[in-house]
Amino acid sequence: MNTVANDTPIITITLIDGPLGVSCAALPLLGDGACTVGAALKFEGIVRAQEGERVIAALNYEAYRPMADRLLEQLAREVCIKHGLVRVAVEHSVGRVAVGECSFRLTIDSAHRVEALLAMGEFIDRMKIDVPLWKRPVFHNDVDERASHER
Amino acid sequence: MKVKVLLFGPERDAVGASSVVVEVAHGASAADVLGALASQCPSIANAVRAARLAVNGEFAQRDRRVLENDECALIGLVSGG
Repeated sequence: MNTVANDTPIITITLIDGPLGVSCAALPLLGDGACTVGAALKFEGIVRAQEGERVIAALNYEAYRPMADRLLEQLAREVCIKHGLVRVAVEHSVGRVAVGECSFRLTIDSAHRVEALLAMGEFIDRMKIDVPLWKRPVFHNDVDERASHER
Repeated sequence: MKVKVLLFGPERDAVGASSVVVEVAHGASAADVLGALASQCPSIANAVRAARLAVNGEFAQRDRRVLENDECALIGLVSGG
């Protein structure tokens, strides 16, 4: 886990091999930071069974590192500053994640709900444009794979 | 000079390799590298036109000069999340 914790905000970026399990990064803040938090949001991206018209077994995620880590951190910092957030914790899978499992988790803490809700959408939209991460569907017949360009 | 370009995602699948070495003139720009890549790999020529080149882990402006030992990567449409 790459942790950037100056005074505030608290930013953590974690790329994990395989599905995301329970994470310390998504736990409620404790200590001084918790005193300023009035809104705590958590978004989890789950692998769907359906890819277009077809049923898939999993998604295979690929990252160009360390560029992906650095851009995630830069993006988290930018949305923190813009919206005055207390914390942004980003967790993303690389490798195979089966249907029903979590591949992306974004945790945002802020003083009020409005800035957290805005930041949540903005972060995800920008991540899907700029951060070098790719996913490829894995079908039940492993030979039959194709690239996904979905956003 | 020879420049190695890393490939990811659909472009890597289309080419069937994780990198391609292209020949460009000394003093070539990022745009020159992308042009050489499109010429050498027609199967991804359309994708290359819409893609960006990263040089040493940073998105490069089209006129950025590329050196032989730079780490170049083709960043096509990404699909994280």
